[in-house]
Amino acid sequence: MLVYAGRFADRVSSAKLPNGCEVLSEWDVLPFHLAALERATTLVVLDPFSFPFESMTEMQWDVPLVVILPSGFDASFLSAVFDEAVLGRLGLFDRVATADRDLWEELRLRYRWVGSQRIELHCDLPDEAAAEICGRLEEEAAKPISPGEDYETVRYWKERGDALATWVPQRAIHVSHHDPAFDKAVFRVQSKALGPQFAAARGARDEDVPFEALEVGVGVGRWASKLDPANTRFTGLDVSGGMIRAARADFPEGRFDLLEEDLVFPYADESFDLAFTVSVLHHNPASAKRTLVSEMWRVTRPGGRLMFLEDFVSEKRTPGSTIYPMSISGFVDLVLEATAGRVVLEHLEALRYPHDPFFRGGLLSLSKVGTPRTW
Amino acid sequence: MPDNEFYAPDDTDLLRMENELLAFEVRFLKGRLGQPAKIPGSSTSLNRLAYLEEAERDLGLLLRRLLGSPLGPLLRRSKSFRTLEQKYLHSPRLQGSSSRERLAYLEEAERDLILLLRRMSSKPFGSVLRRRKAFRTLQQRYL
Repeated sequence: MLVYAGRFADRVSSAKLPNGCEVLSEWDVLPFHLAALERATTLVVLDPFSFPFESMTEMQWDVPLVVILPSGFDASFLSAVFDEAVLGRLGLFDRVATADRDLWEELRLRYRWVGSQRIELHCDLPDEAAAEICGRLEEEAAKPISPGEDYETVRYWKERGDALATWVPQRAIHVSHHDPAFDKAVFRVQSKALGPQFAAARGARDEDVPFEALEVGVGVGRWASKLDPANTRFTGLDVSGGMIRAARADFPEGRFDLLEEDLVFPYADESFDLAFTVSVLHHNPASAKRTLVSEMWRVTRPGGRLMFLEDFVSEKRTPGSTIYPMSISGFVDLVLEATAGRVVLEHLEALRYPHDPFFRGGLLSLSKVGTPRTW
Repeated sequence: MPDNEFYAPDDTDLLRMENELLAFEVRFLKGRLGQPAKIPGSSTSLNRLAYLEEAERDLGLLLRRLLGSPLGPLLRRSKSFRTLEQKYLHSPRLQGSSSRERLAYLEEAERDLILLLRRMSSKPFGSVLRRRKAFRTLQQRYL
């Protein structure tokens, strides 16, 4: 964990911070030094006024940020100084630390941040704030639950989601052996691939025609932030009640429902224009995959889209691994079987995540073929 | 670079899966460009499958229409026509079979439909049939 103390470097001592925290001064973040950022799991920016955000590369932005809002400034001033170049780039994996509730609320609405991104500070002094944040991040990192030898899909993701929900919902996105920086990078790559496909699924319909989207395995609702609530009715399903509560709190305009253990969706046939899932199916055995795909097909309207973004290059190294490997051909066969072939492939894209030697991810977008039962 | 630092893949399973994924993507992109892209061992594209399903449905409809026409009893005298009738109208459909068997069945249905359409077009009454829009659509689609 790196702590950029900038002008306060002489007041922030690494001795008071948890082990593994490194304090940086203004001299340590000259552009040619910035490459060191890429090895960090989190970057805490105590002094945003002196930090060279504009020199950061895309890879350096993959490191999750915790930005402390300088005290004594109002929202208009901070927006004028940082605006889209900094505040607008802080996504679900980044955090904002402030003791000022009103300032947080005003900026949250302006930049569409969610409640769980906030770290509520109890002091304004840089050294105490640094110790408070680092201590909290260290506790959060220790929280994720690893599966035991008897990994059982639904039970594991339910217990894991419930355990993390109230404390740090974002950590539920992370697979135990990945760090937050890797997951933020994966999210960036996936967003780039999914964005155009969401737009294609919406098609040329007018802005005032509602677009019904369903995400299966919604977790904390990270993809809800990528669909405009002004023209999309977002619905999410998850097996964890805790995750559902966290998603409802962060995205009050969306609808989030619990998926029971039989994996049957609580919706009528042909209810959605888009049903999608991201990094969910490869954590499920073949029978559960088949049920989920079949249910997604059932609730999608004819002409609507089904999207799957999954890992198609993986293996189960240990009995406790959460992975159920599937190749692209095997998955396509499964989709054809679960839908009786009544789908048309609209888009296929292989994805390679940063620092990964393989093209591991695959995005499939399919149209549902058929005649609507109701008009 | 020393000799022992050459890239040496040690996980053939992962490489095979990656190769399959990339080959599938290339096949999809070629298909989008309208180029044929046959890759041995990989599964049929979903577009192709939807097309084959449609061909099977069209063949069933065509056979029913022919049987219901005044020419029906005459056509039934032909052994090959009776085979088609038995195979596509009276035998149980292979919905529950494996995807490989289902694909073989659909491809055969497509071939049979093409043969039937060719035969119908070449007979003396081909010019009469061509006056019908539905027949012209089938010709255009499959011949």
